[in-house]
Amino acid sequence: MNKKATKKFRGFEIRLSGTGGQGLGLSGKMLAAALTSDGLHVAQSQSYEPTSRGGMSRSDLVVTEGIADYPLATALDYLLILDQRAMSISDGMIKKDAIVLVDEELVPDPPTGDFKVHALPLSKTAISLGNLRVTNVVSLGALIALANICSLATLEAAIERITPKKYARMNLDAVRAGYELVSS
Amino acid sequence: MSQMPQRQSLQGNQACALGAIAAGCRLFAGYPITPSSEVAERMSKELPRVEGVFVQMEDEIASMAAVLGSSMGGVKSMTATSGPGFSLKQEHIGYAALAEVPCVIINVMRGGPSTGMPTRPAQGDVMQARWGTHGDHPIIVVTPSSVQEIYQLTIRAFNLSETYRVPVIVLYDEAIGHLVDTVELPDPDSIEIQDRKWASGPAEGYLPYAADEDGVPPMPRPGDGYRTHTTGLTHLETGFPTQVPADVSRVIGRLLDKIERNRDAIEQYELTNCDDAEILVVAFGITARSSERAVNLARESGIKVGLMRPLTLWPFPERKMKELAGQVRHVLVPEMNAGQLILEIERLCPDSVTVSGINRFDGLPIDPGEVLDKIKEISK
Repeated sequence: MNKKATKKFRGFEIRLSGTGGQGLGLSGKMLAAALTSDGLHVAQSQSYEPTSRGGMSRSDLVVTEGIADYPLATALDYLLILDQRAMSISDGMIKKDAIVLVDEELVPDPPTGDFKVHALPLSKTAISLGNLRVTNVVSLGALIALANICSLATLEAAIERITPKKYARMNLDAVRAGYELVSS
Repeated sequence: MSQMPQRQSLQGNQACALGAIAAGCRLFAGYPITPSSEVAERMSKELPRVEGVFVQMEDEIASMAAVLGSSMGGVKSMTATSGPGFSLKQEHIGYAALAEVPCVIINVMRGGPSTGMPTRPAQGDVMQARWGTHGDHPIIVVTPSSVQEIYQLTIRAFNLSETYRVPVIVLYDEAIGHLVDTVELPDPDSIEIQDRKWASGPAEGYLPYAADEDGVPPMPRPGDGYRTHTTGLTHLETGFPTQVPADVSRVIGRLLDKIERNRDAIEQYELTNCDDAEILVVAFGITARSSERAVNLARESGIKVGLMRPLTLWPFPERKMKELAGQVRHVLVPEMNAGQLILEIERLCPDSVTVSGINRFDGLPIDPGEVLDKIKEISK
């Protein structure tokens, strides 16, 4: 086996961050399913710590056309922060011109730098839908609207595939509400 | 095997379980341990579907013993573990080497020594995988660096183990084990599967440890009527113990020679950009992925650097390494330990070649930037 071609790194890196219990692993899986169905290659890694709740949590997606040379995140194109305390884990990793999405209540002091920060009422929208726990899915809707990385229809289809039936409606409402926070 | 869509998102440890099933593994005995537990979890779901057996034993020593018993009973068998469990299994891994019992051991590396850092990746078991059990013994260690490759090399581990009757270790780090990646699994019918040689011919005068021309004795299938004897004592072709120096020299010599004479068939590696390389990076596991990125970026800035990625760590691809060492002026060995594989590389390089390492044992992967900086420093 001798691989000759030097392949240039194409694609982008996404991090969903917050605290344990916010469902970031699940929303990472939903987004990965959507991007994979678009024919992209997605490498997902998560913070893996003994703490399952309350500790800092992250779900990273490295999205490429073929298999990524390095599958772990090093320079983020898109970053979601759902808890102020999770901000520091991405220090020095946010790319120039990256899109950073934060919850306007849970992250009162968002990062500053050479990138665009969008503070949106993500958790508030989830509460208005009747369940704070869908903040993760509201955030996904907002993120794809800001980042333009996949269509709402593709993400909805992926969410429907992954979500158990009894939660499907709630998640679909949540993703649309998030999307409309940006695009309406 | 359950039907699966070809393109799917799969975790490294789960790919390992699916590879084992595809290879024909029908017994898993283990004691779950982070970060390998998903191998056991997936096996507990897959094995009943193929009429296999999943046993959670009382500890790692017992689980390794159950694997050996099952394999001697004619069933392809495996276990999965991490550092502390791997240490406990060593006694029986040695038994498998001496009694020539095929078995596959998955070791997902975490920070050590001792209980260390259960959730953090490391590559500190390079030497333990080779020399963890006492005495001179044959062993094969394969090392994947992607989810897809975990699947492939787990299958290969079974094939090698059955072919040469040696324990085979699949060694990878937590970062690769827990990575979820887009993979395309091959059609199960297209996978090459090797089974062990079974004894045939008259049962009268049968010698369980008399090797064929290839150095490997066929195994007696239980129920076929062959009388056999298995022991951890150094034994003759009859299976019974000996301490006669000339006999010991012959039988142990044959065990070691099973690997030596078949190096060409066993050794595997992958080369990237090595043809005109003046600097060579040698790396495995997640570190090979960082190195691949670093080599690609360094090439873009005109540095003549290549990557050698051993897929068999033991036996190490010695001849290829020597050949490359004759071509380059510097070899860089990044690894997530204090410097283990580098010892083997140094041994194979002439004095004219400088060998240096990048070493981390703090629970963090070596990132591509770290490797790139070092390549740039060397190239000056």
